[in-house]
Amino acid sequence: MPRTLNDIGRKLPGSIGGWTRAAPPVVYTPQNLSTYIDGGAELYLSYNFRQALSLKYKTTGKDEITVDIFEMGTSADAFGVFAHSRETIDSTVGQGSEYAAGLLTFWKDRYYVSILAYPETPAKKDVVFTLGRTIADSIEGRGTLPPIISLLPAEGLAPQSVRYFHHYIWLNSFYFVSDENVLDIGNDTPAALGTYKQGGVGLVLLLVRYPSAARAEAAAARFRKDFLGGAPGDLREMKGGRWSGLLRRGDLIAVVFNAPAADAVRAMFIRIKG
Amino acid sequence: MNSGKPIDRREFLKSASAATLGATLLAPMPGQAGSAQAGKSRVVLVRDVNVLDEGGRPRAAAVQEMLDTGIEALTGKPDPQSAWKTLIRPDDVVGIKNNRWPYLTTTAEVQNALKTRIMEAGVPESRLAIDDLGVLQNPIFQKSTALINARPMRSHHWAGVGSLIKNYIMFIPDPSAIHPDSCADLASIWNLPMVKGKTRLNVLVLFTPQFHSFGPHSFNPKYVWKYYGLLLAFDPVAADATGLRIVEGIRRDYFGEERPLNPPAKHIAVADTKYHLGTADAQRIELIKIGYDKDSFV
Repeated sequence: MPRTLNDIGRKLPGSIGGWTRAAPPVVYTPQNLSTYIDGGAELYLSYNFRQALSLKYKTTGKDEITVDIFEMGTSADAFGVFAHSRETIDSTVGQGSEYAAGLLTFWKDRYYVSILAYPETPAKKDVVFTLGRTIADSIEGRGTLPPIISLLPAEGLAPQSVRYFHHYIWLNSFYFVSDENVLDIGNDTPAALGTYKQGGVGLVLLLVRYPSAARAEAAAARFRKDFLGGAPGDLREMKGGRWSGLLRRGDLIAVVFNAPAADAVRAMFIRIKG
Repeated sequence: MNSGKPIDRREFLKSASAATLGATLLAPMPGQAGSAQAGKSRVVLVRDVNVLDEGGRPRAAAVQEMLDTGIEALTGKPDPQSAWKTLIRPDDVVGIKNNRWPYLTTTAEVQNALKTRIMEAGVPESRLAIDDLGVLQNPIFQKSTALINARPMRSHHWAGVGSLIKNYIMFIPDPSAIHPDSCADLASIWNLPMVKGKTRLNVLVLFTPQFHSFGPHSFNPKYVWKYYGLLLAFDPVAADATGLRIVEGIRRDYFGEERPLNPPAKHIAVADTKYHLGTADAQRIELIKIGYDKDSFV
């Protein structure tokens, strides 16, 4: 069974459904990924990107199918980059997949895979899924989800909203918090986000695990000052009558955004394990 | 900000004399476009639901009409020829900075419409170039006296949006050098000698803006929106801030909830507050809307 990205590349079929590999795969590293996908490379670099293998399948005419296989630092990173912009829950391919209008993405183990076939046709869609399953089958083993995600209370959680990251840039998926690193989030602070519907409005829960309780408290102190404005009980009514609040429990910080009432913030904090 | 009833071109021309007064105060001298103006920055949004054909491609004649209508409103001049003469001199060397991203380009139709009017203003084709990745090596851009900045707006995995401000990233030899902090300091590029003070017009193409990024190539047809618009401004920050509000409005409509761009388009705010390239404050933007107004989001 393949154990490396090159092994997976060697297992790719030479032809499939009338489509033929056009050229040897191209390998990208952190140093040159931006030559391939421009500024979009930063997303992958922020999830410990190691290397990528890219190749094209062609048929008659100009049509092509582009396969990109990204090897990330860990399976948590592969999940994180996959979940970054997902809108649906599906596991047709790999450990989680999403398909929209000619583009299939999925993750398995420490790999994130994209198979792109624009413009979409039913025939190309079949080939895309066949290729996807072939690649998924060639990846040995399964990855584990980031442990911090298991701390998000399950009841009411919109599963497609779950995000995992360790770069402050990705803090604002569902609620604009800040464009500064107000919670001292970095490579050593795994973070998870999820949304919960309450009264038709999405409450957002953020969890960040720090290397130490002291570091968590320092981050909490800044957040209390900069975001909560020193509000009593670490609870603040925000614009539109929505509430935000912070809880620090040892090395873990939990922040609720966009809650309908202060009690909803407190109730969410009670439900957090760990 | 003018958020009242939109007017069509005919109505607009009838009120051209009123608009001229404002334009006299706002329109920059050639070579000064892009710097912050006293008072409000004027942004013109022109929309035409017929600009796209059945295949989603821009119709050249409709694009020319939209551009002409927009430039008249922006300058307060009664026709496109006299409007362009306030922007471009016959002895100018003109670079049109486009965007070649394969999924969403400036479009040949916009480029040709700009080229037509620039040449009518007296600039021969030999002193006019259109380029993106090659601007640093392009001899016309190297000796340019005037720049026209034209690109589509789209969501971007690292900068929040691909914007007019960001479109000048190819004027630095190593674009990744500007990537830290989600490209916050993009506006610094506008102070480089090859660029500074040369931008005569900014055109933000909003025919089919992309409002959400998906996958490593950042594009998916599911996440483009037929908006049928062009934004014109001297102030790139005001144009980008307005375009950003439109993209945010589309996201709100599509997702059925507040869904901020992630990451935020920090560089637009920083272009205002740190680099003073223009204004991102909607209260300091005079928005003129012309044409189709359904779901304008501004």
